[in-house]
Amino acid sequence: MTRRTADAERLTPEAAPTWRGLPENVRRSWLKDKQASAGVLFILPAVLFLLIFVLYPVFDVLRLSFFAVDFTTDQERFVGLANFGQILRSPKLTTVAWNTVIWTVFSLIGQFGLGLVAALCINQSLPGMNVIRTILLLPYVVPVIALALFWRWMLDGSFGIVSAMLQSIGALAADQSPLALPQGAMASVVLANIWRGFPFVMISYWAALQGVPQEQREAARVDGASTWQEFRYITVAHLAAITKVMVVLRLIWTVTFFDIIWLITRGGPGGATEHWPIWIYQETMGFFRFGMGAALAVFLAAVLIACGVLHLVLLRRQAPQ
Amino acid sequence: MIGRRSIGPIATYAIALALATFVGFPLLWMVISSLKPSAELFVNPPRLFPSELTLQWYRNLIGNSDAILLFRNSLVVGASTTLICLTAGTLAAYSVTRFAYPGKQAFLIGALLSYMFPAVVLFISIYMIVSVLGLIDTLFGLILCHCILTFPFALWMLKSFFEGIPREIDEAAWVDGASFLRTFFTIILPLALPGIFSVAVFVFVLSWNEFLFASVLITSGDMKTIPLGIAEFITSFDIRWGEIMAIGTLATLPVVILFLFVQRYFLYGVLSGAVKG
Repeated sequence: MTRRTADAERLTPEAAPTWRGLPENVRRSWLKDKQASAGVLFILPAVLFLLIFVLYPVFDVLRLSFFAVDFTTDQERFVGLANFGQILRSPKLTTVAWNTVIWTVFSLIGQFGLGLVAALCINQSLPGMNVIRTILLLPYVVPVIALALFWRWMLDGSFGIVSAMLQSIGALAADQSPLALPQGAMASVVLANIWRGFPFVMISYWAALQGVPQEQREAARVDGASTWQEFRYITVAHLAAITKVMVVLRLIWTVTFFDIIWLITRGGPGGATEHWPIWIYQETMGFFRFGMGAALAVFLAAVLIACGVLHLVLLRRQAPQ
Repeated sequence: MIGRRSIGPIATYAIALALATFVGFPLLWMVISSLKPSAELFVNPPRLFPSELTLQWYRNLIGNSDAILLFRNSLVVGASTTLICLTAGTLAAYSVTRFAYPGKQAFLIGALLSYMFPAVVLFISIYMIVSVLGLIDTLFGLILCHCILTFPFALWMLKSFFEGIPREIDEAAWVDGASFLRTFFTIILPLALPGIFSVAVFVFVLSWNEFLFASVLITSGDMKTIPLGIAEFITSFDIRWGEIMAIGTLATLPVVILFLFVQRYFLYGVLSGAVKG
């Protein structure tokens, strides 16, 4: 009771004497200054955190890529471009690069394809679609480790349900798992990645579809547009903007996604699913060649930034002046 | 509205059901497998409907102190990450949506870029910072790394929730003499609570599921989190599928339940344009 009265008093104009008797313009600039300093104060922890743990590492990984680090003594030795030379001379460069491309392209095609279809479904106002939407969103939160576990279990050569089906139609030999075959392993991890990634595309497309004004659809129908025309000229047009942004985000996150492949195949069999992040991880945590790992990371980042810039240039050229 | 000439509800249901099966079957299969006794688990071809169910694998896990420790560590790391991340995140979101000051735009762009920056590119340097700080193989070191991963995402999502609260409300409080901090705690924070809660859940889920940093930083058995602990469980020679399916189910259940609780706010966040996959 007493506390509430005290609060009420403090909130009355009399309790804020700084405001009284000041000309309007002084009051305004005073508030502005005070706001600025308060704003900076509130954001300070976040800025410091990002400077130390994101900005500094960006420069540090760039610096490290020109060094050889002795893991036992922590000594760093400048080696110039030697790490990059080693990447280019590496016998597995083409395999890893090719695997990365296959992994990324097929994952993206699958995620965008299924994501679009799913978004069009859940956007229909039919009974039960809310439940379907919830189910389709689940992969978004399921731990990748659990995904890896049930994927491996379903693909187990002797007791896996998917392997058994593939064996019964003759696609696999008895007791054989797709994970034991180079192409089967790649297909399996890509499928796992599509499972995990399409809900993100679905929900983003769904959000965009929710923004399509109903009047436009009705107007098109009144004008006699076919279903296909309505889809082509209204739905697709509305999804184009978000697609442009999402392709870049998904590209970055797919190329650099480490967990699924590592937890399902560890890059095997015989390097058939080894993509760029696995290479980085093995150089760093397997052989403790931090400089080499950093060079691989910088290389990957450079390629991704180049893709991003190219994307921007193409978009700008496409956009009407 | 006259005869909708789209693909028709039956086709829509058929496609939706196919997709739901694609998503739901693996999850369901994990749960079913975790309840099957050995005799049902190891048959070829596998049986869709087991004739008997058992809780034996769950009992084994509960009797296994290492498994309990994994859950305890993941809970500690997830909760601490959420607390730190949300404290810094709400303050920052309040700042960028309420105040004008030089450098704000640069900060927002920086946050957006770090939101896109992949962990696999930065983990080497972050590992070295954590090692200089002497935090290798500690839960605190891992908490720090999870904050790095989740903070830009949390900030971005919180920002969209804070933008939804009209500025007039806090301006009225300021004019009445309330301090900025007081306005933040007594007016903005309660109004943004549903949004904050859903961001908290997502930060917790990201931390709970995180594997890369855990595998890089943690070496000793009693510091392992769930993903790391299970990953080593399956590379061992003897693969105990029953227990593995049980622990997979137990690792998935909490995050699915949390997600169902905040789904509504999550969808709101998506509609205002902030998601991370």
